[in-house]
Amino acid sequence: MEKKEHFRAPVQDTFRRKSPFEQLLEHMCKVRECIDILGNGLNSYYKGDYKDFTNLTKKVSKIEHEADLIKSNLRNHMPSTLFMPVDKGKFLWALREQDAILDHAENLAVMLDMRHTKIPKEIQIDFIEHSKSVMKTVKAMEDAVYNIRDLVETSFVKREREQTKEYIYKVHEFEYEADLKKYKLTKKIYELENKLKPMDVYHLLKIADWVDDIADHAENVADWLRAMIAK
Amino acid sequence: MDFTLPVLFIGGGTVAIAFYVAWSIGANDVANSMGTSVGSRALSLRKAVIIAGIFEFLGATLIGIHVTKTIQHGIVNPDTSTFLANPNIFVYGMLASLLAAAIWITITTFYSLPISTSQSIVGALIGFGIVATGASAINWGKIIQIGESWFLSPLIGAVLAFIIFYIIKKVIFDTDKPFESMKKSLPFFVFALISVILFSIFKSLEKTDFQIMSILTILQITFIIAFICAVISYFLICRYKISNHKTDAEIYNSIEHVFIYLQIITACFVAFAHGSNDVANAIGPLSAVINILQSGSIESVVGVPLWLIFLGGIGIVAGLATWGYKVIGTIGRKITEITPTRGFSAEFSTAVVVLMCSRFGLPVSTSQVLVGSVIGIGFAKGIVAVDLKIIKKIFVSWIITVPVSAATAAIIFIIISRLG
Repeated sequence: MEKKEHFRAPVQDTFRRKSPFEQLLEHMCKVRECIDILGNGLNSYYKGDYKDFTNLTKKVSKIEHEADLIKSNLRNHMPSTLFMPVDKGKFLWALREQDAILDHAENLAVMLDMRHTKIPKEIQIDFIEHSKSVMKTVKAMEDAVYNIRDLVETSFVKREREQTKEYIYKVHEFEYEADLKKYKLTKKIYELENKLKPMDVYHLLKIADWVDDIADHAENVADWLRAMIAK
Repeated sequence: MDFTLPVLFIGGGTVAIAFYVAWSIGANDVANSMGTSVGSRALSLRKAVIIAGIFEFLGATLIGIHVTKTIQHGIVNPDTSTFLANPNIFVYGMLASLLAAAIWITITTFYSLPISTSQSIVGALIGFGIVATGASAINWGKIIQIGESWFLSPLIGAVLAFIIFYIIKKVIFDTDKPFESMKKSLPFFVFALISVILFSIFKSLEKTDFQIMSILTILQITFIIAFICAVISYFLICRYKISNHKTDAEIYNSIEHVFIYLQIITACFVAFAHGSNDVANAIGPLSAVINILQSGSIESVVGVPLWLIFLGGIGIVAGLATWGYKVIGTIGRKITEITPTRGFSAEFSTAVVVLMCSRFGLPVSTSQVLVGSVIGIGFAKGIVAVDLKIIKKIFVSWIITVPVSAATAAIIFIIISRLG
């Protein structure tokens, strides 16, 4: 019986757009998937275990590509005639920043895989802590984006807006935390500069930057979200 | 009778056209009642078609049968000298007009555009009137009314749907405990809904021969039954409990779930009302034709024969079962995707607007009110995305309905009368 119904309206179903918010959530799920893999991968990498890292890089690239498809589909189906309850420009900026997270995640994975830099014992724990803060920032951003579903359902009532804002404050908080950890980490790398090879120093500094970029973009998503739901 | 075409042939053609007209109306107008219900997934397409079929047919046969005032009298008067002298011109004209209207409705249905089927019929009748008796025989007031309807219907629909949805939002969603608020406010919604439904049904009875009750009695009966329904809904909703540990999303889902029932009730009513009014509107002109064929003369008021209404009812059901999904897709999915609370707001506002406007004699079209209602909810931030491009397309189809139907009717009339 289900089949017959599908047969009845084949054309509509093919061209039927999902709601833009649903697609933004779908894209966010790709971010979540990617960041989960990357978080675990970074942990092993920092501990000197490079075994599966090439594999992980491929996976991250694949997810990034899938997310790109969602993003372009969403963008291509946002005609100027589409009337949305939020500012379309801000919505697209949020999407763009969310996609930037994946771009940076992919870049990070590929760059890490190009040169397996040994993390010195003294700063290993700092690297791990830093990456944890970054992951926490992204997680908080995911919660904020996920709350859009409730916002839309209630047509943006105050209570749900406040809830989204709470998640957004958390994003800022964790991002700040990640920044502080990065500065601490950078300082420690400079302290070790005489012990390490110059190329190692360069790569370690770069790794800290690349990982931190992810948190920056998560924060940008939160900012655009905040602007989007503001009255 | 001096028919140059065999009477039997015309009779058969009349029946076929009657069925075709009913089919096209069924295909295009079923979205009025079921579009938002399918869009909100309150009903599957199959269930919607079955329910709409049942209620359209009930409306047509229970009430539609008694509706004696039909559409043709307002536009082309059968008792003008031209027709009295030559009744077959009137017969050809009616057939040509209905065929032209049905063709235009079929085309718009093919492109999944919800138009006002009665405006299409009016347009076709105007076209025939101009050709047959000249522009002087045309009731221009009727045309101005149609023009008003293009703007009035969506506007009133949008405003009322906005208000209804805003009330739902403020009373239910924008509270600390949305589910509890929904429980408290549900009986009021039920009361309002049942009142409007009953009052509308009594109103449509007024058009029939059973004008037995005064307005006061009607109001009393309406409010008493609505009150009883509200009390029943209160007891039913009290038994519906959810655990305290649910997430917000699950709570909202439960609220939407309750509104599915209200939405289905509204949808059934709109289907019933459509069956009772529009079937007769479409079939009425044909009953005039059949009357002329039988008696050979024109009578000013003709009742609609029973079998013709049955034929109309069957035709409408056939239309919604075969092509009904097309316009349903436009209302329910292409313009936007909606949830039961939004669908209820749109349908309820449509029912209220149609009731009020017929009370005050404002010309509105159900299809046009419904489209307006959906936009109104969009303005209340109730809808994630309304595609204005499709709205524009729909609006254009409304405006060209009258001239296109008129021209087609004129051409078909000229062809038939040359042949005849």
